[in-house]
Amino acid sequence: MNRTIVFLTILMVAAAPVFGADDSVAKAMKLYEKRHYAEAATMLRAELPSIEHARQGTARLTLGMIYLKNAELHRKLYLEALSLHQDYLKKLAAEQGKSRSRFVDLYLGEALLASGKGEPALSYLQKFASTEGLEPRAKAMAQVSIGLCFALKGDMQKADEAWAGLPGADPEVKAALAAAYSKAGLKDRKPLQLANESLEVLKKSGPGASLRYLTNVASVYAAEGLADKGIDLFKRADLKAYSYKEAVSKAKIITFYDAFLLDDLAQLYLMAGIASLEKALEDGKIRDTVNFYLGEAYAQSGAVDQSVKSTAAFIASSMPQQYRDKAAARQAANNYRKGRQFDAIGVWDELSKKQPLDPELLAEILIVCSGVRADCPKLAAKAAASVEAGEGRRFSLLNIALGRYYSAKKDFAKAASYLETGRDKSNKNKIEFNDPEMLVNLAEAYYRTKKFSEALEIYFEMSKQFPEVRQLQEALQGIYAMEHKSAGDVKIY
Amino acid sequence: MKRTLTVLLTLAVVFSAALLAEAGRKQDNRPDGGTLSYGEYGRPATLDPITSNEMISLRLTELLFNGLVGINEKQEIVPELAQRWDRSSDGRVYTFYLRKDVTWHPREGEEPKPFSADDVMFTYKIMMHPRTITPLKVRYEFIDKAEKIDDYTVRFTLKRPILNALAKFSFKVIPKHGPVNPQFLTRDDAFVQNPIGTGPYMLKNVTAEREIVLTANDNYFKGRPHVDQIVAKPFADQNIMTQALMFNAIDMIVLVNPRDIPEIQGDKRFILQPYNALSYSFFGYNCRNPLLADKRVRQAFTYAVNRQEMLDSFFNSQGTIISGPFAPGSWAYNLDVLPIPFEPQKAIALLQEAGFSRGADGFMQKDGKKLTLSLKVPIEKESEAVKRVVLAFKNYLKNVGVDIKVEFKEWQAWKEDVFLEHDFDVIFASWVFDDSADISSLFHSGEIGPWKNNFGGYSNPEVDGLINESKLTLDHEKRRTINRKLHAILADENPYTFLWTLTNYAAFQKKVRRVAIHPYKFFSYADEWFMEGKDQK
Repeated sequence: MNRTIVFLTILMVAAAPVFGADDSVAKAMKLYEKRHYAEAATMLRAELPSIEHARQGTARLTLGMIYLKNAELHRKLYLEALSLHQDYLKKLAAEQGKSRSRFVDLYLGEALLASGKGEPALSYLQKFASTEGLEPRAKAMAQVSIGLCFALKGDMQKADEAWAGLPGADPEVKAALAAAYSKAGLKDRKPLQLANESLEVLKKSGPGASLRYLTNVASVYAAEGLADKGIDLFKRADLKAYSYKEAVSKAKIITFYDAFLLDDLAQLYLMAGIASLEKALEDGKIRDTVNFYLGEAYAQSGAVDQSVKSTAAFIASSMPQQYRDKAAARQAANNYRKGRQFDAIGVWDELSKKQPLDPELLAEILIVCSGVRADCPKLAAKAAASVEAGEGRRFSLLNIALGRYYSAKKDFAKAASYLETGRDKSNKNKIEFNDPEMLVNLAEAYYRTKKFSEALEIYFEMSKQFPEVRQLQEALQGIYAMEHKSAGDVKIY
Repeated sequence: MKRTLTVLLTLAVVFSAALLAEAGRKQDNRPDGGTLSYGEYGRPATLDPITSNEMISLRLTELLFNGLVGINEKQEIVPELAQRWDRSSDGRVYTFYLRKDVTWHPREGEEPKPFSADDVMFTYKIMMHPRTITPLKVRYEFIDKAEKIDDYTVRFTLKRPILNALAKFSFKVIPKHGPVNPQFLTRDDAFVQNPIGTGPYMLKNVTAEREIVLTANDNYFKGRPHVDQIVAKPFADQNIMTQALMFNAIDMIVLVNPRDIPEIQGDKRFILQPYNALSYSFFGYNCRNPLLADKRVRQAFTYAVNRQEMLDSFFNSQGTIISGPFAPGSWAYNLDVLPIPFEPQKAIALLQEAGFSRGADGFMQKDGKKLTLSLKVPIEKESEAVKRVVLAFKNYLKNVGVDIKVEFKEWQAWKEDVFLEHDFDVIFASWVFDDSADISSLFHSGEIGPWKNNFGGYSNPEVDGLINESKLTLDHEKRRTINRKLHAILADENPYTFLWTLTNYAAFQKKVRRVAIHPYKFFSYADEWFMEGKDQK
């Protein structure tokens, strides 16, 4: 985060026209620095048409950076939510008897499906679909997901059987089906048209759209490359809303959430980011800088070849060496992705020797190394020795990088220790002072080491800016309620 | 033959002696020695685990005593005084098989006495005795019967299966030969000031400066703790405590003043470790006062105070405003309930609705009586930040026409006023909870009485009913739902003005190694802490 801010500052000073304090780009940057990403992006996007031509490139670059950072955060949130949902729902599903939730089978099935675990997903979904007395819409939702399980397995006959006879007039079901077609890659079934039709029906019928509905439509838009349209869907949505509230009894009420919401947001932000950066590329004055971010954005989207091209262009530029070194570290990660692991590790080793006293470069190398889940014990040892000797903000970044490295290695005790050292403790859970992505990493490490309340406190604070975090809070609360062991003590002080 | 037997016996004696000596030390190759002194924000009223109801005592009793079971860092129940246990298939009968190698800390000039089932039975009986002063009774009412099966086996039969039953057997066991009065325990018993336990540390003495000195128990059944001596040093002023750490006068602070976090974080000599005690601060109201019995008056007080401003100004924003009776890090917190906003006009309207009107002096009055209330604050809380909080509260309420008279009282006297005499209108204090987030002792009407936690006499049949239902259920999600409802009701009822939960960090010198902290009891793993020889003093 700070890396990019510093970088953009250089860019602003060196390449762009001078902005006034009330300039929308400057305002957006301020919001970005405070990690108010959605607010920053919404404001700047609305202002784009009124920004003069000479500033368009910089404005687009800024918007692209904001979206990119928000995409990274939401990707991390999604992965963590998916894992938490499964842990929580598996515990709920293990209950027996009359007070067992019925809907847990639907939501666990969907969470497993999203994690690529088609077989167990199918079993839960079928169990749910065969439950007696279900509302037609709930049953239809299960059928849609069952069909998707089969379609992803390549069994279109069974998929069509599952999808046959669904209440097509119901816009919620229609949108779910559109999303399923889209996820299964069945373009010939015109998912976009189906999603738009559902939207028309919904507009006519009056009642507001549920968050699940919006998520399904957004999923189609994301697949069709309609990033802005997808983002606009959520403009007035309550992102903390649950998907379903099941009253198992008067005194047992369970709320279920859709983890896909976070996936959709991550995808939409990434696509919007790439689109904005590609537009910014048209401005020759800032092309080198744009390439730096575009290389990163393409890598995130899985477009490795495009990432290689953009990153290579940046490395060949006359930008400051320290940034070109960082880009070289990223380029090595691209090579790693393309199967040239040995070369990549060699580049990282060389870079770390080149500037042994630069903790920021070492942090960058470790982060890209974690990103591709490479094993870099020598680098980690070097970084550990470096943080032991150094102090200050620059070394905080290196501590955080070490934390992320050990998170990726699933050594959560070590991860928590490094991330905690890198955290600004004076502003423990405040996103304005601690990168929210780092906080999610830390929450994950605390959850995995059973320090539930530390993780919950992080999400509690984060949810004030990112209400969609609610689903992680609820799942984590549920796990904590089941797992804690204590006597029921309370003391005054 | 005789000679062979003698040799064998001699060898056996020598071997046993060697084993005993080995059993005393931990086998982890870490050095023993050194003194660890830590800063506390006050002096404990008692040092036994039964009569105490505050955190300072809790931390010390964790070093002095053991339970039948313990809870490790992975949230697993682990053996302590019981080496194993059985649970009946219906979940009602728990049989504990006790360790045979545990001895009580010896009194001066005495040999250590062995721990046995009699001590467990004694602890249970004295804890449940009607005349014993303890907040624990309510927690163990689920036990129907306790029996000694033999010297090293005890059995507990529950009235009904409950959630987390095994964890409740972590209550600390005290020796049968400890208290002077073998029937019940009060704060007058010499044992509460001079206790003996089975724990890793033994009470050595309390100095003239009221420092509590503990020494390593060489016979500790988990192996002698590494650090020779632990000293608890009381500090009335938290600012001085931080300075003491910076100047090496102490090695550890159990709870860093949030304002001092930046200073400590910037110094490489120290480690700041978060431990999320589920705690919050509050202004609590005495509902026995007819003025405060009216919910609208209590609500008005909450609308009148700007909690965010206080948190920002006095604690550098290092905490979170809460909306109800659980900490935000708890599984029980109702995320849908938002904190009451700062709206002085709404406060005035509520007071008017409750029958008050402004008098000529600007203060609210009813039936010719001015709305004047006493606010009692313990003197140990007389840190600069707390002083500012209570003065701000006084000013906020003055703005809506309420006259608050602040009274600082010595800790013990304050507790007597609040918990025994119930002689107060408003108090400022904080609660700390373990993971179970059990608020039953705070708000159930059955917990109104001397030395019980419902000091404000709050009574609401709906709340009682929900608490009862929550205790009966074996369903985690049901208990969660009930707690959400309790949160919503109590947030509306305002038996307290719920304030905030503050950032919790412990700070310690880097020389203290392998420090793991229990989020509630703090010293649970202190027997594993150590210092290298060069760092020992």
